[in-house]
Amino acid sequence: MDSNTTALPMRPTNAGKVFAALLVAAALAGCSSGADTQENPVTSVASSPDYTGPAPATDDVQSFKIEVWDKVRPDNRCGACHGTGGETPGFARTDDVNAAYEEANTVVDLTSPGDSRMVAKVAGGHNCWESNDAVCAEILTTWITNWAGDAAGGGKSIELEPPAEKTPGASKSFPDDGGSLFGQTVHPVLTRYCADCHVAAAPTSQSPFFAEEDVAASYDAAKSKINLDDPAASRFVVRLASEFHNCWSDCATDAAEMRSAIEALAGQVAPTEVDPSFVLSRALTLTDGIVASGGNRYERNVIALWEFKTGQGDTAFDTSGVEPALNLTLSGDYNWVGGWGIALREGKAQGTTTASRKLHDLIKGTGEYAIEAWVVPGNVVQEEARIVSYSAGTTDRNFTLGQTLYSYDFYNRSDVTDANGDPVLTTSDADEDLQATLQHVVANFDPVNGRSIYVNGIHTDDMEPTGTGGSLADWDDTFAFVLGNEVSGDRQFAGTFRMVAIHNRTLTPEQIGQNFEVGVGEKFYLLFGVSHLVDVPEAYVLFEVAQFDSYSYLFTKPHFLSLDESATWGGIPLEGMRIGLNGAEPRAGQAYKKLATTLASDAASEELGQPIADVGTIIELQKGPESDEFFLTFEVLGANTNVRTEPVPLVSAPVDLAPSPDIGVRTFDELNASMSQITGVAMTHPEVVETFTTIRQQLPTVESFGAFSSSQQVGISQLAIEYCNALVEDAGLRAQVFPVFDFTAGVTTAYGSAAARDALLDPLIMRINNTAFVSQPHPDDVKFELNNLIDRLTVCGNSCAPERTATVAKATCAALIGSATLTIQ
Amino acid sequence: MSSIVNYAGWQPSGSLLRRALVGIACIALAAIAQSAEAGPREQAKRLHDRLAGVPPAEQVLATMEADILAGNPIAAAETAMDNSAFYNVTLRNFATPWTNRDQTVFAPLNDYTATVIGMIRDDVPFNTVLSADILYVGDNGLGLPPYSMTDNAHYEEMEARHVDLKTGLVRTTQSTVTDLPAAATAGVVTTRAAAEAFFVAGTNRAMFRFTLMNHMCNDLEQVKDGSRAPDRIRQDVSRSPGGDSRVFLNNCIECHAGMDPMAQAYAYYDFDPERGRIEYTPGQVQPKYFNNDANFPFGFRTPDDRWDNYWRQGTNTRLGWDPSLPGSGNGAKSLGEEFGASDAFAECQVKKVFEAVCFRQPSDAADRLALQNIVGAFRASQYRMKTAFAETAVYCMGD
Repeated sequence: MDSNTTALPMRPTNAGKVFAALLVAAALAGCSSGADTQENPVTSVASSPDYTGPAPATDDVQSFKIEVWDKVRPDNRCGACHGTGGETPGFARTDDVNAAYEEANTVVDLTSPGDSRMVAKVAGGHNCWESNDAVCAEILTTWITNWAGDAAGGGKSIELEPPAEKTPGASKSFPDDGGSLFGQTVHPVLTRYCADCHVAAAPTSQSPFFAEEDVAASYDAAKSKINLDDPAASRFVVRLASEFHNCWSDCATDAAEMRSAIEALAGQVAPTEVDPSFVLSRALTLTDGIVASGGNRYERNVIALWEFKTGQGDTAFDTSGVEPALNLTLSGDYNWVGGWGIALREGKAQGTTTASRKLHDLIKGTGEYAIEAWVVPGNVVQEEARIVSYSAGTTDRNFTLGQTLYSYDFYNRSDVTDANGDPVLTTSDADEDLQATLQHVVANFDPVNGRSIYVNGIHTDDMEPTGTGGSLADWDDTFAFVLGNEVSGDRQFAGTFRMVAIHNRTLTPEQIGQNFEVGVGEKFYLLFGVSHLVDVPEAYVLFEVAQFDSYSYLFTKPHFLSLDESATWGGIPLEGMRIGLNGAEPRAGQAYKKLATTLASDAASEELGQPIADVGTIIELQKGPESDEFFLTFEVLGANTNVRTEPVPLVSAPVDLAPSPDIGVRTFDELNASMSQITGVAMTHPEVVETFTTIRQQLPTVESFGAFSSSQQVGISQLAIEYCNALVEDAGLRAQVFPVFDFTAGVTTAYGSAAARDALLDPLIMRINNTAFVSQPHPDDVKFELNNLIDRLTVCGNSCAPERTATVAKATCAALIGSATLTIQ
Repeated sequence: MSSIVNYAGWQPSGSLLRRALVGIACIALAAIAQSAEAGPREQAKRLHDRLAGVPPAEQVLATMEADILAGNPIAAAETAMDNSAFYNVTLRNFATPWTNRDQTVFAPLNDYTATVIGMIRDDVPFNTVLSADILYVGDNGLGLPPYSMTDNAHYEEMEARHVDLKTGLVRTTQSTVTDLPAAATAGVVTTRAAAEAFFVAGTNRAMFRFTLMNHMCNDLEQVKDGSRAPDRIRQDVSRSPGGDSRVFLNNCIECHAGMDPMAQAYAYYDFDPERGRIEYTPGQVQPKYFNNDANFPFGFRTPDDRWDNYWRQGTNTRLGWDPSLPGSGNGAKSLGEEFGASDAFAECQVKKVFEAVCFRQPSDAADRLALQNIVGAFRASQYRMKTAFAETAVYCMGD
């Protein structure tokens, strides 16, 4: 369904009729069949006399009356001057709406409402009723669009016009010096004259914060306001010279001082010269481009809309055109984001309870709604964070869209939930639907199906926990609408908002898909002229370009085309295309440098010409969308070549490492195998297996001495004891290993002489290879220590228990194979 | 009865035992300080210790000592590698950390580890370890549970029984014992253990990263190059993480620009944790390649398993890619050949051996020169890993 189709006869013309219509709409909403109906935006504005003139002559006049005339005719809008008997054009005259309609037609463009004379006038500073001219222009565009209905936007073919020929020139870029030069030139002026407002801690804090004491932070914020190539065109200068913005003496002198400071900075920056060997297209800035319509958003039931286009100040304007405007006050730690948006870290954007009430009134009227947002969650570790909320604190709300880790949370208060909107609908944590990247999220609620969440146009498949939606009768009209936090300030959401809209109907999957496809932010078609390189008249490489965020541009949809409809071409090679910026090729983001294709008019079947690549890329932002100059370079285009060969990378000289020991400890499996080999006990011996399995991870895992610990030595001892125990307890095995030693004799006999002891010690020492190695302890030393051990273990003499002989043998064996003699290799 | 009871019986003398252990340890350390005076016998013992992990029998030691005295230390090293412990202990612990994400040596024996051990035992050219249609299983005569695509019981039983891997492994092919076609096999990359560890869940980039770490001795940190074309970076990589595209342009791109076009080689592979087996879907890209594809819709959408090595230019030319290969292809096998033919692969195998045998990284000019010489010998021997072990052990056997 087209977004601008309207059911005109149902439209009321005053507040009373609004209420009546809402009742009707609510009643209809409860029906399961019947024709689709059109909801009615709040149109109440400042008091205006009831209209008593001729009835609208046509449906179009009626539409004009509802969508535009009723809103502009009050005395606090255009009616003060353009009313009856006032200045021409009299589009706000109150005596005859048909006459006003005729006057209005002279200043509007219904096929392109944004290009209307009325809009341009207001945008230029002509009596805007809000504090920001662009906001009035936006609202006026919305009203005219609503009036135009089908005539506006949709289906409009893109009219590509040739841009002015401009050769890529040398360009100055901001030095990457952390603001050192800036600190000596421009920064002192800013901190002296602008710090009352343009610092975060100021009582009347105004973004951007280019007057901070911190030079680096100030430098970062000031770059987009400085034009190094043309200091006089810097926003800092223009703002003073032409817009008379808070001058500190007289504006001309102040502007000159500012220009002088910027010239001092620019004078020390050498321009980047374009490499003369490059095969170059013509150059463009973003604003040289043609606005890409990119399709229409579905906004038929929008009742509040924030697009964050102003880029400065502390107010996010509601540009839905539905009165009263629910403007949000920014507070705390926030930043305006390039390409439209606000980033919140420790801040929020909150409306008044009075203005917020329109959400209550209009949504209760339909019983359903949709929260739509383009957001960039700052991370995926924040929990219980409020993205969009209409609430009174942490325990009372009408609705909230929030974040918990990788999930979106959706609370809605109804007669089947509590006052906090619990049970909450949360997207599956396993699905990780929420990502810390730009996402389009829609939270739908209707009384029958309850809540559902769509991310990037796709239903998340998470079902309404209550099984139904319920009634919104309990909604409270004293709550406040807030972005990025709870109204109580204790549920911070860190992230970026690029757009937020509230609809008082749910969005269908098709409508959600439509809005997702349109995207967010302003897009331009940039036509890079290449006719001087190929024998094709009016030949261009086209890109759709948008500011992606505060730090980059998005380049997509590269096409080759000719604006000369009669032109044909074929067999033109195009290879190695790169995007140039301010005289140089950025290192990162050159997604087309491996491109190799052939241009032929036969392939130029699409509206934009011949597609030459499927992927898009981002290119760093340097000076800002008004100053950054783009161009293209080619390795091959037609007969022009500049094939690049990459230099052989330099290999840095290796660095010597600190000396390390060339010996180490035996690791777990090595110890096990070694002890098995020395004792002759199989590694599969049940008791050995049991012990080894238990202590395996306690034994050394790496050879490094530095990792050796006492607990590992304990484990080694345990394993050694186990092996020696198994050896001595196995009569057959011990007889093989110790053929002479008498295990049945008492300790005084078995250990009574050196020869008797040698019958135990010599086989052990031999098996551990402890013979004639200068790197091992001498056998005599080992034997001396083991004899001492035997002496101590046999002090009981004749009173020792009979099994003492075997026990001492085990101990002696374990002392040797559990020692450094084996452990160290 | 376990030793715990017996050990308790020794408790009255426990402190004496500990003192004895410490005393002997001190004697040993004092002797080690004299190792500069080591001779052929010392060298033989160290060769055996380092290669087999266990002390040599006296007879073996004598043989090795004689070889060293005769000026043939490589023969002595080959003798040490005859010990079963070289396979059961040294090689098992050499390869096991490559087979799991935790890089733990305590993982069970599996087909990846067994295949590495078998290839080294049989002197199979090791540069095919990432590409060959090869597999090692337990000998039929051992009565083991048969090899299964869906579990690891075959190898766990071998381990439980302490089957001698020197004699108990038999060479076969993956295409014989699994349902993978020969063209889809890629050495250890397509073993069940590797699939379970690196193809499971995720986006298959893990297989690329761990192959790079384990067989090229470089983690992604070492191969970062943000100047490569980002045209093959998939849609799931956010270009503005947390709303800041500088993170992408300065960090993410540096790995993904080169990694994504190569990890595309695995586009038809997955590991099904429910069935416990590798999945191969020729001609059909696995859904995991489209995870989070709305993160950046203008990113690359994988159409097939075509891979391209963007690191053949730029800073990663230092990895020494083989100029006789095209630097692109389809599937895991040809990517494995690309890796296997590189200088970095050969150097990596020798580096790993060096650390296993010398207990340190190559540290100075002498070590680096030795490394290059050993790499040369390794390649000249048709990538015979035992040559790398022997040459390295001889270099580190002391004077």
